[in-house]
Amino acid sequence: MKFLPFILKHLRYKWGRTLTTVLAMALCIFLFCTLQGILAAIDDLMASTSAKRLITRHAVSLVFNVPLSYQSRIASVPGVKRVAITSWFGGSLPAKKEGKAQTEDEDEDQDELQSTTDWSQFFTNMAVEPEPFFAMSPEYPVAPDQFRDFMQDMQGCVIGRKLAERFNWKIGDHFFLESFIPPYRKPSGPFEFVVRAISDVDRAKYPSADASIMLFHHKYLYQATGERVAAGTYTIEIEDPDRAGEVSAAVDALFANSPAKTHTETERAFVAGFMAMAGNLALLLNGIGLAVSFTILVVTANTMSMAVRERRTEIAVLKTLGFTSAGVMALVVAEALMLALLGGALGVGGSKGIMWMLTHLPGLREALAGMGLTTLDLKPTIALLGAAVALGLGIAAGFAPAFGAYRARITDMLRTV
Amino acid sequence: MSMVEVQTVRKVYTRDTQEITVLDGISLQVPEGEFVALMGPSGSGKTTLLNLIAGIDRPTSGSVLVAGTDVTRLSESDLARWRSRNVGFIFQFYNLIPVLSAVENVELPLLLTSLSGKERRERALTALKVVGLADRSGHYPRQLSGGQEQRVAIARAIVTDPKVLVADEPTGDLDAKSAHEILDLMGTLNKDFKKTIVMVTHDPRAAERAHSQHHLEKGVLANGSGVTAAAH
Repeated sequence: MKFLPFILKHLRYKWGRTLTTVLAMALCIFLFCTLQGILAAIDDLMASTSAKRLITRHAVSLVFNVPLSYQSRIASVPGVKRVAITSWFGGSLPAKKEGKAQTEDEDEDQDELQSTTDWSQFFTNMAVEPEPFFAMSPEYPVAPDQFRDFMQDMQGCVIGRKLAERFNWKIGDHFFLESFIPPYRKPSGPFEFVVRAISDVDRAKYPSADASIMLFHHKYLYQATGERVAAGTYTIEIEDPDRAGEVSAAVDALFANSPAKTHTETERAFVAGFMAMAGNLALLLNGIGLAVSFTILVVTANTMSMAVRERRTEIAVLKTLGFTSAGVMALVVAEALMLALLGGALGVGGSKGIMWMLTHLPGLREALAGMGLTTLDLKPTIALLGAAVALGLGIAAGFAPAFGAYRARITDMLRTV
Repeated sequence: MSMVEVQTVRKVYTRDTQEITVLDGISLQVPEGEFVALMGPSGSGKTTLLNLIAGIDRPTSGSVLVAGTDVTRLSESDLARWRSRNVGFIFQFYNLIPVLSAVENVELPLLLTSLSGKERRERALTALKVVGLADRSGHYPRQLSGGQEQRVAIARAIVTDPKVLVADEPTGDLDAKSAHEILDLMGTLNKDFKKTIVMVTHDPRAAERAHSQHHLEKGVLANGSGVTAAAH
């Protein structure tokens, strides 16, 4: 510790160079932590999928719906326990009025507002077939009395606890949603909903379950749109997860010769495919992280080499005074480590900050939740890993110049002054 | 008793395939408490001899005993530790560390000891007081004159209370007045603090302050070396 002021004084002496190197290191660690945080959230999402659930969608694209007539035929496939329609509604609150989410008390100008939406207040909302859906989705528990009320009210909905807290919605509150998907819009204006149940999502058991979700009757959507919409997807619960491949093939075989062919896969594969729409994220994000880390390694190594070159006399003096070669080497490495630590701390802090912003800023938060990335956060393990990468880079960058200082002979260094 | 005993020392440098003999079988004895000047033209080997005595270079053959220790037999790390306890080095260009204040520069060798921070600071201030710069302890090298910088360097050299002080042209970068002051200070260190001093110099006036002068010529001690200075 007695050498710490000595190291800090050197860093402060060339503060411009120190600052830029620290910022470069910080950027590297920031990117590393943030990208790894995103990958971890995707992993969480994958891990929280049920091995007992399959998703059947239109073989061409998620954009196309699957006919409602398919439901009974899917249910008849051996190994299928239950089938539920699940359609991503894509609804958002109509435009805000006086800074508040639209409620039933503020609907006098509804006609004027119905064509606009407030994306900053977006949250995930799905039209589902309640009985089979809730039976196969333990991550969204609902109290029996509330579930009964929900089932008896066609406009009723189940909302996650976080969503209720966000808009201060209570049981019995009304609100309106309008989908941006044209077939899910109705001429008379936004859909009206009544909060009938609040689900306390078990985030400990299902870390990626969306506590800001809103679920309502698919029948309401079907009837309100003139019985024209079909199913976005079918969620299938199977008896035996080991038979997932066999059941999937059997379901798809049923519709192989129909105009609307299906593609059935495990929920995990479905989520992975959904994520893959943005490309091979893991490869892309890791590639960026590696490239940046290598660049920063070179930058920091160059900084340390310059520092050692400029201080040849000083190193000679230290050795003359009795500092051992190993001691001088340790001082150089410690200086590089200090740069790395400062940069690492800044990078980890910045990453924590951006994660907080992503999960708290209206609009961004909902967009991520819509993708299922509800656990986006800088986990302690990733923060520690980021710090370790920073230290590793510091050691790697400092080692070569430090070794040069270790090997240098006093008389040679004094002679070149 | 000899504080420094150089015995048949040879130093040969190899440049490419060419061998250059810098010191050729030199023997020299410096008694304890002596103030010795090494003189000679450039390239005569006087700085090399000084470096060997200070333990910052090794001879090709022969031995160098300082305070009873054959420094040629010590490992690199043992030699570094030995230097920190036994030798104070005064450079021509002071070689203070620019990021450290005067007192921090003086304190630097004490970082290798087990002294507490407070004890280190007290000793460094005492050393600065000895060289007459106690009032400049917080100044940085860029805020000091050449003479003052050299005095700080001398304080750094004596702060560990070494047995031997070696000085490589300590007045070579100073004006006449500052040089005079530095030589006075070195005389005081020799006389009052009983330091054995080996000084390399080109300046005859500086050499006159020493008890004895040794002349090197092409790597060997010239005849007439060992003349006792009148000032003694």
